[in-house]
Formats: sequence, C-alpha cells, structure tokens
Amino acid sequence: MIKTKDLIKTVSTSEGELQILQPVNFSVEAGESIAIIGASGSGKSTLLGLLAGLDTATSGEIWLDDAPLHDLDEEARAQLRGEKVGFIFQSFMLVPSLTALENIMLPAEIIGLDNPKARALAVLKQVGVEHRAGHYPNQLSGGEQQRVAIARAFITSPKILFADEPTGNLDAQNSHNVETLLFDLNKQSHTTLILVTHDPELAQKCDRQLAMTAGELVEVISNNASDGNSAQQDQEASA
Amino acid sequence: MSNLDTVRVKTLPRQLAWRLFKHEAKRGELSIILFAIILSVAAVLSLSLFSERLQGALTDRSAEFIAADRQLSARHPLDPLWIAQAKTFSLATAEQTSTRSMAFANDELALVDLRAVSDTYPLKGSIKLAPELFATGVATTQIPQTGEAWLDSRLFQLLGVTIGDAIELGDASFTVTQILSEIPDGGFSVFNADPMVLINQQDIAATNVTGPGSRVNYKAYFTGDENDLEAFFDALSPQLDRQIHRWLSVQDDTSPIGESVARAEQFFLLASLLAIVLAAVAIGVAAQRYAQRHFDPVAIMKTLGASTSTIRKVYLYQISFIALLGIILGTIVGFLLQQIVVSALAGTVEVSLQVWYWRPLLIAIFTGSVCALLFCLYPLLGLFSIPPLRVLRRDISATFSSRGGQYITAGGAILLMMWVYSQNLKISLILFVSGLILVGLLLASTFGLIALGRVLGKGRMGAWQLAWARIKRRSLDNSVQLISFALTIMLLLVVLVMRNDIVQQWRDQLPQGTANYFLANVTEEQRPKLVEHFAKNGIDTDGLYPVSRGRFVKVNDELIRTDITKEDEDTTNETRRGLGREANLTWDTQLQSGNEIIAGQWHDQWTPQNSTLPEGVYPVSIEERVGERMRIGMGDELTFNIGSEIVTVQITSVRTVNWQTMQPNFFFVLHPAAMSQFRANYITSFYLPPERKPELTRLMAPFASVTMFDVDARINQVRSIIDQVSAAIEFILVLVLVAGSLVLVAQVQASMDERQRELAILRTLGAKGMMIRLSVIYEFLIIGLVAGFMAALANEVSLYLLQTNVFQMQSSLHLEYWVIAPITGAVVVGLLGAASCWRLLSMNTQVLLRKML
Ligand SMILES: Nc1ncnc2c1ncn2[C@@H]1O[C@H](COP(=O)(O)OP(=O)(O)OP(=O)(O)O)[C@@H](O)[C@H]1O
Ligand SMILES: [Mg+2]
Repeated sequence: MIKTKDLIKTVSTSEGELQILQPVNFSVEAGESIAIIGASGSGKSTLLGLLAGLDTATSGEIWLDDAPLHDLDEEARAQLRGEKVGFIFQSFMLVPSLTALENIMLPAEIIGLDNPKARALAVLKQVGVEHRAGHYPNQLSGGEQQRVAIARAFITSPKILFADEPTGNLDAQNSHNVETLLFDLNKQSHTTLILVTHDPELAQKCDRQLAMTAGELVEVISNNASDGNSAQQDQEASA
Repeated sequence: MSNLDTVRVKTLPRQLAWRLFKHEAKRGELSIILFAIILSVAAVLSLSLFSERLQGALTDRSAEFIAADRQLSARHPLDPLWIAQAKTFSLATAEQTSTRSMAFANDELALVDLRAVSDTYPLKGSIKLAPELFATGVATTQIPQTGEAWLDSRLFQLLGVTIGDAIELGDASFTVTQILSEIPDGGFSVFNADPMVLINQQDIAATNVTGPGSRVNYKAYFTGDENDLEAFFDALSPQLDRQIHRWLSVQDDTSPIGESVARAEQFFLLASLLAIVLAAVAIGVAAQRYAQRHFDPVAIMKTLGASTSTIRKVYLYQISFIALLGIILGTIVGFLLQQIVVSALAGTVEVSLQVWYWRPLLIAIFTGSVCALLFCLYPLLGLFSIPPLRVLRRDISATFSSRGGQYITAGGAILLMMWVYSQNLKISLILFVSGLILVGLLLASTFGLIALGRVLGKGRMGAWQLAWARIKRRSLDNSVQLISFALTIMLLLVVLVMRNDIVQQWRDQLPQGTANYFLANVTEEQRPKLVEHFAKNGIDTDGLYPVSRGRFVKVNDELIRTDITKEDEDTTNETRRGLGREANLTWDTQLQSGNEIIAGQWHDQWTPQNSTLPEGVYPVSIEERVGERMRIGMGDELTFNIGSEIVTVQITSVRTVNWQTMQPNFFFVLHPAAMSQFRANYITSFYLPPERKPELTRLMAPFASVTMFDVDARINQVRSIIDQVSAAIEFILVLVLVAGSLVLVAQVQASMDERQRELAILRTLGAKGMMIRLSVIYEFLIIGLVAGFMAALANEVSLYLLQTNVFQMQSSLHLEYWVIAPITGAVVVGLLGAASCWRLLSMNTQVLLRKML
C-alpha cells in the first residue's frame, strides 16, 4: 500500500542546510496499522506530510497504492488524497465556519460522491455525535470535535488513514474513547492506518511500531509481535 | 467519475461559497468587508452626486453670464440657417445684435451701447428693470416691444429724458418705456463705458446703424441638452471660420465667478479622490484579514483533495457576491445620504433640481468593483497559495506573498481610479506622488521608531514597555497601520486646509468695503471737483487712474493698418489677436496693488536722463497674458496713435495682474512722461454701503457725463457662491471624517484576533488588567502621535504641490497643524483604538481562552 525508497528531506534554514529525514526505506501492507513514535522534533510529522502527499521530498520515491507520489504534481496529489486518503489531526482542523455535518460532507462533496448528506449523517451516527450535526466547531468540546474529524476522515472510505497525534489535545477519558472509535472504524473498513503518537499505549494497539530518532526510522520489535512478518519488516526498515 | 458526479463537483464551489458566507455573515466578521464596500460606494456616490448637483447649479449660474449654455458671436451677420439647424438639434435659440451708436433726445446726444434682442432672449438669467433710477433691478421675462427702448439709468440723466419721452437711435425713433438695470451678458468692462439701450431685434434694421463701417457684433445663443449642444457644435464646426466666429461655452467663462466655479469643481474632484483612497484602504485591510482567517480552511480543503480551481471559485464567488451586495446597498445609502444633506442644507446651498445623474452611479460602481477586485486580489492570491502542509506545520503561511506586487497593484488601482474619476492626470499624479512620499517617510519613520523603541522600551516590563514591545514585534503590521492612519489624517488636513485657504483667499479678494461702483470718463477738470464732492459726502474713492485710448500703429517695424475698412479691421483684429486695434492705456510710476513684475524692471526709477532706450522712446509695462496673446514681450517696441500724436514705447517689464480683484486693471501701463502732452480721462471705483443706494442719483447729478457701473449685484453673487462652496466643503469634510474614522476602526478590528490571543496569554501569565489596558492605550497614542506628525509633514508637501501647480494659489506653511495633527492623531487614534479594544480588554481570562478555541 505504501512504499518508500531512499526518502530524504532537507530544508534550508538560516544556519544552512538541515536534513530532517535521513534516507527512509519502509513499506506498509494494505490493512496494516502502523504507529510512528519518537521525540518531539525528530521528524514524524515531516514524514507523515510526505507520505500523504502534502509536501514533496528532496529526493527518493514514495509509492502510494501503486501511484508514484513523487512524480505527481500538486493537483494530481490533491485528487489522489481526496479519493484514497483520510486525515485526523491533533488540532482537529475542522473548518470553523461550517457545521459539524457540513464539515463531514466536505470531502465527499469535493470528490463528487452522491448523497453526501445521507452519508455524512450515517457516519455522524457511527461516531455518536448526531445530536451535534448543526453545531459549529467552536460550540463543540474537544472530544466531540475529534469525533467529527474522524467521521470526516471515514466518509470517503479511504484506503489509507493518516493520523498525527489524534489524541494529543484530549484528556484521558476522551483519548480513550477516540482511540476505541478510531480502531473500531479502522477494523470495520480495512483501512491502512499510519498513526503518529507520543502515547506508548496507543502505539501498542498498532500492528507495528516505527521509532523516529533524529530523522532515522527504526522498526521497534514489540513484545506482542506474533508473526515473523515484523522481523522481516525490521530489516527492510533499517536497511 | 460519472456525469452526475461532474455536475455535482461543478456546483460545489457555489454551494460551499454560500455555506461559508452564511456563517461568516452570521458571525458578523465578513460584514466588515461588506461594510467597507458599502461605505466606499456610498461615499463616492453621495460626494459625486452632490458635487454634480452643485456643479449643475454653479454652471447654471455661470450660464447666466453668457445668457445661454453656448454663444456664437461674430462681426458679420450669422447665417439664419444655423439657427434653423440648431432647432433640429432640439436646442433653444436667441439672438442679439449690438453696436455702438448715437442716441439723440432733447437736443442732447450720447454714445450708447445699443442691444437689439430677439423674443427668446435671454435663454439663461434674466433682464432686470429698475423701478426708479439707479435702484436695484427686478427680473422681467419681457423684452422691449417694437418701438420701445429701455434705457440705462445714466442715460436718463445724460439725455434729460423721462419715461414716455421719445429718443432717436440712428434713423428710427423709439419711446422710452423702462429703466434698464442689467442684462445677463451685459459684459463688464470699465472701458466700454457707454450706457446701454435695449430694443427689439425687429427694430434694428430701421435704425440703419449696422451699415458698412460700423462695428457690429452678432450673437446667437443656444441652450439644451449637453449632448445635443456638442452634436450641434460638431455639425456646425466645419462651417465656422475661426478668424471670424467665436464659440463660447459656459466652461470658457473667464470672469472671476467662472474661475471660482472652475476651482470649486477641482476641489470636489479632489475631495472625491480622498474618499476613494480611504475606501481603498478600508477594503484592502478587510480583505487582508479575511484572507488570513481563511488560511486554515483553504489548507484543509486542499488536504481533503479540493483542486485549486475549486478553491479559487469558492472565494471569488464570495467576493463577487459581497461586491454586488455592497454596491447595491452603497448606492441606496449614498443616494439617501446625499438627499438628506441636500435637504438639510436647503436654503444655504443651491443645488440643481435634477436629483439623479448616471455618471456618479457609474463611478461608484466602477470604484466598488475595482476596490473589491484589485484590493482583494493580492490577499486572495496569497490565500490560494496556502500549501496543504499547513495542516501539519501551523507556521506555514502563504507561499505567494509579494508585498511589492500588492503595493504596486493597490497603488496602480488608486492612480487609475483617480485618473478615471478626475480626468486630470496632473492632479492625480500630484496626489499620488505625495502619497508615495508619505508612505516612504512612514516606512523610514516606522523603522526609526522601532529602533527608538529599543531604547525607550527598556526597563522592567510595565504598560509602557509592553506597548513598545508590541509595536516592535508587529513592526510590519504597524507600519501598514501607521501608513493608513497617517493617510487618513493627511487627507483630512488637506481638505481642511484647502477649504480654509481657498475660501479665505476668495473672501480676501472681496473684503467688506470692496468697491461696488466704478466711474469712468472723468475729465481732468471734473477730477478735483469729483474728489471733493465725494469726500464731502463721506465716500472714499480708490484713487483715480488716467486712461486714454491708443491705436496700435506698429509693433516693432511691423505696420498695423488701422484704416477703417471693414475687411482690414477684422483681419487686423484676428491676426494680431490682441485687444483689437485699440488699447486702453494708463500711466503711472506707482505699481498698482495686486500687480507683480515677473520680467524686467518696473519703470519708477526711469527718467529721460538715465534712459537706456532710444531717444523719444518711453518704458511700458505689459500684462503677461496680453503679451502672450499678441506675441509681444520684453524689448519689443510698440507705437500708438493717441489723439493725433504718435507715441513709441518699449516693453521694459511684464506684470501679472490679479484679475480676481474688483479694482481697475490695465494691460498697458506707460511712464507718465510719455503722456505729458495729453489730456486724460480718469477712472475710479468706490464703495457705497447698500443703505445709501438711494443717494446715488443725487451724488452723480453734477457729473452726468461720467459713466457709472454698478457691480454690487455681481459682488453679492460671487459672495453667495463662496458661501455655497464653503458649505459644500464642510459636508465633504464630514464625509471624509466619517470615512476616515471607519478606516481606523477597521484597522483595529483587523488586529483583533492577534490581540485576543496575546491578551489571553498575558492574562494567564498574570498581568494586571490595568497594565494591559494602559499598554493598549499607550500603543495607540504612540501610533496616533507619529501618524499625526507624519501627516502634517505630508500635508505640507502635497499642499505645496497642489497650491502651486493646480490651484495657482499662494502657498504658505501651516505651522499650527504641526501641533494640532499629532495631538488630534494621538487623541483620536488612542480613543478609537482603546474603544474598539475595550470589550476585549474587559473580558475575563476564561471567556478569552474559550473564544480562542
Ligand atoms: N520547512 C522547515 N524549515 C525548517 N525546519 C523545519 C521545516 N520542517 C521541519 N523542520 C524542523 O524539522 C524538525 C522535525 O519537525 P517535525 O514537525 O517533523 O517533528 P515532529 O517529530 O513531528 O515533532 P512533534 O512531536 O513536536 O510534532 C523540527 O525541528 C522542525 O523544526
Ligand atoms: Mg509533529
């Protein structure tokens, strides 16, 4: 589903060139859930941005569901994102001047799915905030906002879901609820999940964990790894 | 994607635009930009509609001085076909034939200015009749019946006639039936000193005074719709001979009143330009803020897969909708505003009764759309360029941001509107360049201020330090804010000063006691008697100036033929384009007040002994414009035939003359030595208070041969126009003030989000409410003070340019504004700023934090 080859990101700063990502090589199978963990500033979000086609790499290749992301222009990447990718962010990123329902309809409308409203109402129900359909984001609690954001991410039935610290802004109880919801939906729709988190517990719930240290990505062999698949992945990731 | 899907995606931008708009409108944030457009359209429309109506009234007034909208005059009879042709253009027409002729009655004889007019005369203004000699005239709609003659008051004295008496003009006899006070285009020249007689045009042939050898002036008058008038002139033009025919339109009026109207017109244009600039600033600020608030939604939509064109449409739909709504509402508001002002000023200000003109509407729509599009363009381009990555990295802003390009577009848009609006590139450029200078100075001063702030803002963190810290941190925002505050203050100052200066300069030209009567043809013998007589009656005469008519014989060695044959006379007149073959000469060694030597040297030091001129040649000083017209200048020799003597003079100085004053002015001033052998006639002027008017007949009785002009009515007319213009300017001042204040508020509003965030942080950190409040007040005081100071400086520069280049006025320093502007700037900006932030400042931390999320 996702495959990278010698992915490098450098940026120029006032102190000269800064390499944020060392050559990154790894691949993710369809339906897998991957956690990326690492210290603040290690380059997790940068990697996520590249994988999702929000940013372009300095060099290297990214294949997303067999599409060469590194060869596509911004318009093509946008279309790909609309059709295959869903997002969940730490700061929810709802459009403040649209209602919860309208926010959820938005991706469906952008790619031209039929009955966006009915679809939106259905997912809204799934995330359990149907009573908030007509409310604006600033009238919702953090947990509710993130549920709406999850509903928005799932409405297009994306093949891949990217989540950047989805529970970073939530208290323990809400975090728990959101996590449960996220994994339930993920399982239901067989989505490939790439999740950036600081939370070890959340990371544990994923099939695999990758650790980012100063731009280097290393596979973490978890205790509950049950098949040989991850060892093989490990080699690939650290190659 | 199915066909259906494609359709759905196509309608998406409109749906989304509307959805976003609905909420924005509800939250009241987008209304700022809408309000700015309404404001600009309303201001432009009301100002230009008002000035259009005022100009309409002023033009009507000045049309009265040529008795029509257009006037065609010639020394030959005009082709009657032309008059018929004018009628096919739906124009109203009238005719006048005038000549100088002898009038006889009771064995007395007098030279008169004979005017024969058609039934429809005058097309504009009215003939005025005096109930008794020298009394104030009352308008009449009649003209003399055939066989009737209406006589100037003086003529009754000169000829010793009364109403009902017979008078002979040429070969015909007339009955005197009325005392003529004035006619609209009676002209005003101290030199054409003959009293006027008005008769019916049908009688002119019978008098036989228009035969060969006489100087006759034929005039045709036209009035009608401006387009018809132009069309008629275009059709007539090829048939006219520039050497013979003279086409005069209201705009060509060079009388003091005509010039006042022209100046007023320029002033209104200027004021309209100010409103445009203010509007543009408000819209630019609002658009910037609007775009910034939408950085996130755009990044989100892009992340979710929206194409650039979808996003572009979403926002263009919104802007177009707001522009349209703003223009419609602005038009309504502007029209009502103007109507309210007109009715409030009813009685003081005369406006044309026509309430609607299309030009102001077109200008308002043009302004509204140009502002909305051009001033939103760059903020929107920035918005469209927001990369989707912003959803992950919050510090990422627009990748397209060309402040230079933005300023060039904004500046270009302002200049374009100025030009389109004023149709005057010069005024536009002057305003624009001084604006640029202001912006440059402001940028420099902002950076200076920030450097200064490093010093001033040192020390333990208090309100004062906090204020400086804020100014420093937002240096670019602040410079933008400073520039717009300063612009607003400057615009207000310019309007204020121009109003004071223009109105004052006009008023100064007509102080109380301005001569309202002129006397001409005072003989050498009468002179001492007249002075004594007047002194005894407590009336000051403004000095007596000798005048004599001289006939041009030669200019340098070029002989000018002055034989009285009709053809020659005309060609002489027209090729030399002087004042005709005769000129009025005066002689003095003292330079008249209001005269200024611009070349050569005034001849008061000249004596025949120290003369550097050839033997028998005397110095003469000429007026600048007559020199240009006759193509004569310094060092040229003029030869005059005066009486039967030849006098040769050389131009030793060129003068400018203030034609706006009501005092006798002369084209040619000779050295008295040149005229020692001639008997002079004198002219003078005096002021007679209105209440003493009945004494006039008695006062003038001993001097029946002296010609008198009553210019009281004229002066009053000029005064009332000045009052009107001044009232109109006050109205504009109020409008600009309102517009300016709104720009200030919009500016503060624009920084509200950031302030809110900052305040929440400060509050959470435990800063005292009082300190925060004080720091905000200090911040605005500092900005207002600097803006006011910069405005005073820029005001001085632009006023200097305007007054010297556009209005041809005396320019002066306005030191008082160097104090007033910074203080008012500080007070107004401080108050407005603090007031708009007050609600924010008094919120508690809880509410603040909640609002931020
Ligand atoms: N365009 C850029 N210019 C300069 N520095 C950048 C740029 N993009 C990323 N960085 C830097 O690269 C590093 C990695 O950033 P990134 O956001 O990927 O970290 P992260 O692992 O997501 O951190 P966190 O856990 O705090 O979200 C940071 O130090 C960041 O400041
Ligand atoms: Mg991150």
